[in-house]
Parts: sequence; C-alpha cells; structure tokens
Amino acid sequence: MNDALQQPAVAARDITKQYVNGTFTALQDVSVDIHEGEVVAFIGPSGCGKTTMLRLISGLELPTRGKLATFGQPINGPGPDRGMIFQAYTSFPWLTAKKNIEYGMKIMGVPKAERAKTADEFLKLVHLDKFADSYPNSLSGGMKQRVAIARTLAQNPRIILMDEPFGALDAQVRWEMQEMMIEVIEREKKTVVVVTHDIEEAIYLADRIIFFTRNPGRIKEDIPLEFKKGQRFLRKEEMFDQDGYAQLERKLFAMMREEIVAADAA
Amino acid sequence: MIQDTKKNAIVTNRDAPAQFVRASDVNKHRERFFELLSPASGRQTVVLGLLGAAIFFALWETAHYMTAEEGRRFLPSVEQVLGELIYLFAEKDFIYDVLRSCARIFGSFFAASAVAIPLGILMGCFGKFKALVNPTVSGWRYLPAASFIPLLLVWFGPSETAKMGLLFLGVLFFLIAMVLDNTEAVQRELTEAALTMGASRKRIVLEVVVPAAMPAIIDSMRTMIAVGWTYLVIAEIVGASDGIGAVMMRAGRFLNVDTIMAGIFMIGVLGVLTDIGFRIVQRLLFPWNIKKKV
Repeated sequence: MNDALQQPAVAARDITKQYVNGTFTALQDVSVDIHEGEVVAFIGPSGCGKTTMLRLISGLELPTRGKLATFGQPINGPGPDRGMIFQAYTSFPWLTAKKNIEYGMKIMGVPKAERAKTADEFLKLVHLDKFADSYPNSLSGGMKQRVAIARTLAQNPRIILMDEPFGALDAQVRWEMQEMMIEVIEREKKTVVVVTHDIEEAIYLADRIIFFTRNPGRIKEDIPLEFKKGQRFLRKEEMFDQDGYAQLERKLFAMMREEIVAADAA
Repeated sequence: MIQDTKKNAIVTNRDAPAQFVRASDVNKHRERFFELLSPASGRQTVVLGLLGAAIFFALWETAHYMTAEEGRRFLPSVEQVLGELIYLFAEKDFIYDVLRSCARIFGSFFAASAVAIPLGILMGCFGKFKALVNPTVSGWRYLPAASFIPLLLVWFGPSETAKMGLLFLGVLFFLIAMVLDNTEAVQRELTEAALTMGASRKRIVLEVVVPAAMPAIIDSMRTMIAVGWTYLVIAEIVGASDGIGAVMMRAGRFLNVDTIMAGIFMIGVLGVLTDIGFRIVQRLLFPWNIKKKV
C-alpha cells in the first residue's frame, strides 16, 4: 500500500490563528482529520472561525501556530490541488462561460484541444451547455456560480473547498444547486469541505458535520451523519423521510441557539 | 358635490351597478418632472438635452440684445460667434491650430497614461510597492500645474516640450491616484480565486487584475483627458504661435471677443467629441461589461 494513500486529505494539528498582532484569536488549538472522499460541513455561529479554517486549508492564509497538511504535504500556500468556490461570484466577467472553465486548465498547461473538450464536458455536468458562449453578466447568480464550480472541477483538484457557496442565491436556486452538487460529488468522488450557516444544507450535503464554537474558535462537536447510512440523496425530499433526520436538525438548531444566547450574554 | 361629478367623467362599472367610479379615482400614472428614481427615457434624454441647449443659447442671445449698443462687441451674439468660427476655418487655417492643439493634448495625455497606468496597477496590486511610491507621488496632486510654468520655461524655453510637459504634469498625478483606486476596487475574490487555481503573480496581474480594472481605468482616462483640455489654453500661453489657445490669446490683445468665444466653443466641441470617442472605445473593447439579462 502506498503511504500517501493512507494520509488524510486534510490533517490539522493544534491549529491556532490570530489576527491583529495576536489580539484576536480566530481559532485555538483545532485538530481535525478529513479523509479522502468525505464530504464535511463546517457550521457554527458567526465568528466561530469556520471560514478561517477553510481559508487555512486553501492556503490563502497561514496558521499562526500548528501543523496543517494535505495528503501528507504541508500547506504553504494555495494550489490547484485544493479548488475553492467562494460566496461572491468569481467567474471572470471578461471570459465566456466556456473560456472561464478553460482558464484553470490553461494555468495548469493543459493543451488547447483538450481544454475545449474537458470544458464542454463540465458545462454539461453543471447544465450550462447552452450557455457556453455567454458572458457572466448575462447569466443569473446561480449560473455564474455553476461556472465557478465547473472551472474548479475542470482542474481536477483532490479537495473542493466551498465558502458559503450558495449564500447569495435565492431559496429555490439554492435548493437546485444543492441537488446539483450531490450529483457532482457522486460523479467526481471528491473530498469536499463546505462552510455554511444553513443547517439543512449542511445535513443534506455532508457525511459529517463539524460544529464550531466561538471566542475563541474551536471545535465543539464532530457529528457523523449516521441517519443517512452512507447514502446521498439526489432529491432533497428523500432526506426528510429518513428516521433520525428531524432529531438531528433539532439538535443542531438547539446547539446554534445555545451559541447565540451565550454570545448575547457576553 | 354635483359640480364635482359633472367635472369628472363618470364611468359605470357594469358588474357593480350601484357604484359609480369617478375618473379621478381610477389609478393613473401621473408623470411628474421631478420624480425620484425615474430616469429619462431615450427620447426624453434627446429632447430635454436639446431643450437645455436651446435655453442656454436663448439666454445668451437675449443678453446680447439687452446690452447697450456700444458694449455689444464685448458680448457678441450666437450667430456672430458661429460666423467667426466659420471665418476662422475658411480664411485663417484654423484647422491647423485645432490639429496642433489636439496633437498636444493626445500626445501628452497618452504619455501620462503610459506612466500612470502601469504605476497605478502595480501599486494597487502590491501593498509594499504602494507604500514605497504613493506618499511621494500623492503630494504632487496638491501642486497647481500652472505653478510649473516658470520652471518649464527655464528648463525648456518656450518650446513644444514645455507645453507638453505642462499638460503631462497636469494629468499625471491625478491619473495615478485614480488608476490605483480602480485597481484596488477589483473584487478581492477574483484574485483569490486565481491564487487557488495556482496562477502565478504575473498571470494574476496581467490576466485577472488588468482586465477586471480596465473598464474603470478607461473611465478615469475619460475624466482626466477632460482636465487635459482645461489646461490647454494655459499651456499654449507659454510662447505658442499656434494652437487654439494661442489664437485666443492673440485675439484677446485686440479685444476680439468673438474670436475668443469661438475658441472656447471649439474647445468645448472637441472635449465632447473626445468624451464620445472614449465611450465608443469602451463599448468596443468591453462588450462583456454591458449588462443584459437572459
């Protein structure tokens, strides 16, 4: 067995992140392993450090203390092995949907013909094949976000990091995007880390929920989604019928309320 | 009450015969001139724009005829100024002066752009470079360009270099500040997305920041070239024998107010044309920047 295969997708050991010369601690002594193929949701109240943790994994920021590695390699900066999808629309407005998807591959030095072929494939996967030559300004918010998702997937990253990816979308589009994401995850077999404040979204997408608490940011509870029995539901309503779904949602709401009450008291 | 119903047309509602609906009760769209959140339509823009210009010329014309006979040469009428403009083109080779002025404006402006745009973009991208350059560059914005005239004259004499130098200095430092702002206004996530895709710094600057900032930079250039036009007359005072400003200064010595006003009018027209030119360039270069819905 190759040693690298046994390494976790993300291994964090005693991660501390401080800002403003140490006067604000966003994360304190966080340790967590995320395994290959897992879909993990980070949830928690505002200011709990869940987005900071995601940005540390992406390499956009570096921890103040602690060790962070992906598949055994220390994380010293961003790289195409960890694709990131942001809440803000990051499809480049001066490139068509297709050229946007090709851009990531261009950076990696993929030959032109192959880029075009792969881009077509991913346009189809995110249901945008009819909009290949449209510029983002003529696309809806959900479509812009699908361009960004396809661009990330086309780079074939080992881990996909998503920071409130559907936070700017309206309820119906958000729900469509969540179902599309399940389709993509099932097909691409990626390791996914998604930061969200939407409890239902976290339960629907994830195999495992990591609940963060604030002041300072640390992990409160690591919750495996046992009620799903390893399944992922292509239709969201199938999830609501499962035994244990309601109890879990109730528990997470109660945990969130506890955090809000504590924050108000402080 | 009776008068009231007479005044308003009565509309009977067949489904509710007992009820009378007065025309004044029907919802109707009353268009007011001073309406909030209500941009003028395309046709209104043209009509109102022409109306505004007509009012201006009418006021001017009225002022001319209200002036006492002996003072009228100091406030010539619209037709005198336009007539003078035609005379200048037909008899005085004014086109040559106009082209000289245009060459000075565009030459110095593009030289200033060639310095300001790269500098502003680099400062906007790299915080430490900004910290190095910006404090020194910022101070210059507070110095009036005209105060450089004596210095430019000592260094270069009443030459073309001195005139172009003034126009160059007049726009350079403002343009740097504006390009810096335009670059810093580029959505942070675009750069971060490119970083997570593994793009090099060179790629990010050239292929992400530059295209993202370019429409705003062209807008800044459009604003600053207008400032360039405002410096033209000052620049052409500096020992110029040709150019619109020189023609106007010569006319001033002979109290030829109609020639001066024709020159002002000409600069205004050229300024508007430059502005339109920049807008066209912007539409052609950045078709992706035009919002349209599917």
